[in-house]
Amino acid sequence: MTAPAPQEKDTSSPKSKGELPSTARPRIGVFVCHCGSNIAGVVNCGEVRTAAEKFGDVVVAKENKYTCSDVGQEEIIKAIKEHKIDRVVVAACSPRLHEPTFRKCIQQAGLNPYLLHMVNIREQCSWVHSHEKGKATEKATSLIRMGVAKAAKLEALEAREVPVEPTSLVIGGGVAGIQAALDLANMGFKVYMVESQPSIGGKMAQLDKTFPTGDCAICILAPKMVELSRNTNITLLSYSEVEEVKGYIGSYEVKVRRKTRFVHEDKCVGCGLCAEVCPIKVDNEFDLGFGQRRAIYVPFPQAVPLKYTIDKEHCTYFKTGKCLLCVKACSNDAIDHKMEDEIVNIKVGTIIVATGYDAYVPMKKGVYRYWEYDNVITALELERLLNASGPTGGHLIRPSDGQVPKKVAFIQCVGSRNKKIGNNYCSRVCCMYAIKNAQIIKEHEPDTEIAIYYNDIRAFGKGFEELYHRIREEYQVEFIRGRPAKLSQNPQTKAIKIRAEETLLNAITEREFDLVVLSTGLLPSEGSKRIGKILSLTTSPDGFFAEAHPKLRPVDTAMDGIFIAGCAQGPKDIPDSIAQAKAAASSAAAPMFARKVTVEPLTAFVNEDLCTGCALCMELCPYGAPEMVQGSKGGTKAHVIEALCHGCGTCAASCPQKAIITRQFTDEQIYSELQAALVHGKSASGKKRAEVEVS
Amino acid sequence: MGEVEKTFIGGLHEKLIEEKVIDESQLDPDFPKLIRKYGGKDVMTCLQCGNCTGVCPISLKIDYKTRNIIKCCQFGLKKYTLGTRWVCATCYRCYEHCPADLNPAEVMIALRHIAVREGIIPPFIKTAVTNLVKYGQSVKPDPEIDKIRKELGLGNIGVEHPEFGKVIREIGVLIRATKYDKLIGIQEEVKT
Repeated sequence: MTAPAPQEKDTSSPKSKGELPSTARPRIGVFVCHCGSNIAGVVNCGEVRTAAEKFGDVVVAKENKYTCSDVGQEEIIKAIKEHKIDRVVVAACSPRLHEPTFRKCIQQAGLNPYLLHMVNIREQCSWVHSHEKGKATEKATSLIRMGVAKAAKLEALEAREVPVEPTSLVIGGGVAGIQAALDLANMGFKVYMVESQPSIGGKMAQLDKTFPTGDCAICILAPKMVELSRNTNITLLSYSEVEEVKGYIGSYEVKVRRKTRFVHEDKCVGCGLCAEVCPIKVDNEFDLGFGQRRAIYVPFPQAVPLKYTIDKEHCTYFKTGKCLLCVKACSNDAIDHKMEDEIVNIKVGTIIVATGYDAYVPMKKGVYRYWEYDNVITALELERLLNASGPTGGHLIRPSDGQVPKKVAFIQCVGSRNKKIGNNYCSRVCCMYAIKNAQIIKEHEPDTEIAIYYNDIRAFGKGFEELYHRIREEYQVEFIRGRPAKLSQNPQTKAIKIRAEETLLNAITEREFDLVVLSTGLLPSEGSKRIGKILSLTTSPDGFFAEAHPKLRPVDTAMDGIFIAGCAQGPKDIPDSIAQAKAAASSAAAPMFARKVTVEPLTAFVNEDLCTGCALCMELCPYGAPEMVQGSKGGTKAHVIEALCHGCGTCAASCPQKAIITRQFTDEQIYSELQAALVHGKSASGKKRAEVEVS
Repeated sequence: MGEVEKTFIGGLHEKLIEEKVIDESQLDPDFPKLIRKYGGKDVMTCLQCGNCTGVCPISLKIDYKTRNIIKCCQFGLKKYTLGTRWVCATCYRCYEHCPADLNPAEVMIALRHIAVREGIIPPFIKTAVTNLVKYGQSVKPDPEIDKIRKELGLGNIGVEHPEFGKVIREIGVLIRATKYDKLIGIQEEVKT
């Protein structure tokens, strides 16, 4: 690990930077925030402030309507200067929201930013106790008493700066990943793109047209794919998997497995002579089983990179040791059946995760009989059937007999908004793609009758509602509000009969269609789950990656330097994916432009005198921060690599010798908080001041 | 639905539907809570997709279909909910298909509980319970049934079995102990 030398001297002996002689009592200022009516509507802030004034070491206590506002911050600065306070306690919202704000504020007034303690009397008090105002006030007072006790023990800390490698890794080569990589490359940063499939392009490359404008998907995507492959700042690692990621913001070390194509990428020119002679034909995954490909193949004509790949599972050579027709056909000697996987190690400063989605596949026992009836298909299959470069050349046919369907039905919300299968969320794109596909079918075959079975139509984007109206008015597509109950197949004609309640008519309808399209929802992709584990990313209840803040930090993750874009974060359409990719690129660029980033000093450190070298901390640390080193006075001692430490406190809590201390959460600080809580509780019940055992 | 006859100026004579506005006096916002009390899941989760109606084997034969009843429950429109639910056979197909994970069949059972406590009891229920107490089965023994059973090659139901009287007495004790007879209003019929 090439971590920058941690500035041990500054951080592990904070008292050297402390601004007070140890004999002087700390002078604490308490600032109680109303947060409009968020806190003041429940907690009696005046009472809390009066109580806080009487706590030991408190010099001044004030109330503010909004402490985070300019006025509120001015007041803190004024109090620091006038009352010479050297510790600040802000009783307001969660430190996750405004701790950075107040740290900057007290730093402006000349205090060390880590001499701040935030007491959460909003999320942890007023919001959860909104029905018990009296008790909430009591609890807020207690919480502040504890906060003051901890603040008295706070120590000054210095933030660290670490250098940032001006290189980024983009995981996933769908439209979001492509856009993010292009933006970063155009800013001048080096970008590695890792894509698990033989070609970039993702799901968008499979689509026919895009809503609401009807642009051909591959026609607008292919230029971007080509631009990416030609950009000298971008290294494209297609047909590769991220295996391991180590490190922290600024210097991540990434191990990438380049799966072997059995074709030398530098020699293959994509002429396709090999595929012409290959005797093996298998279903093409890209066409979802409708089209076929050879065992040596490119998934689709516009593939980038246009390099052939041998499918080891189906290639005759790997089964029998014979054939090698492709080798004979190749005029460039590009094919080598003895090639092996390659491991590439790269070092990057930031990572953008754009691992996309998987389309829901209707379960085997579902009522819609997707597995059983040929003429029940999913929307992604329909996209391939409508696509000009698809297996049918863009002619919509029924899979059962190849005839043009006269009547087509769409069933919405398959795999979304369904608590039974655990997908409670709306997939956001199904309404519009069904409407768009209905329009395309009508344009191909104007006489087709189309019905859309829906629950609610969500046409919320720019131009969506207009398309929805057009499809009703100009194209006479019928909308039936109701979830189909039963599909049955006519054994002769293979037509599908749909039984459903037309809820607006309050009647049960039974109608026959030639083709039924299930508008399937979006799921977190299998690859996302794997990458999520490697990068320790958190997920929302829906299984997609969780952003750091749903409103204010939509592309950040809880891990510094790792950003998310596209459907990996949640279902979204192409414009939203692009917008998020651009946002992720700009967020990732910020630390790379600065070439450095400030890292919190709230890390753990080891007291060598107490450490016995048991290495328990090494086993427990989720970030691999502790290492065993030769102690200065001999013996094996633990040492925490600060750049890797996230300050979670696991090691400190588990150390049998109490040799590990987490800064800002030292035993002394935590026990002083406990004491403040417990001692008051005892005296209130009329008992003697209790001796709180702190061991 | 009542009809009113109206003669317009000029002599045009039309039969019109009775004017009917659902006002707040007919709504009971606490009704969903009451349903929960009697074992139904929260009806407010229903999205009115109509899947339950579509799969319901009896839905074609009734006016107020499963989805309508759930909607009326959400509003607390008791008037429409407490009359029709006895046709539900609780086959649970609606539950099997419901994407909101609601259980309409159990809502129906809850509605029966509520209806009975409000004194809305269909006569056939009284008859069935009376039969149960008197004969140990909800259908009254009938020589016609025995004849059909014989034709089909089936034996007797077994009411002549010496132990059967004991079973009937046990049922009676249980029904009286749980005050079920009082709830249904059949104390007179089952007096011993």
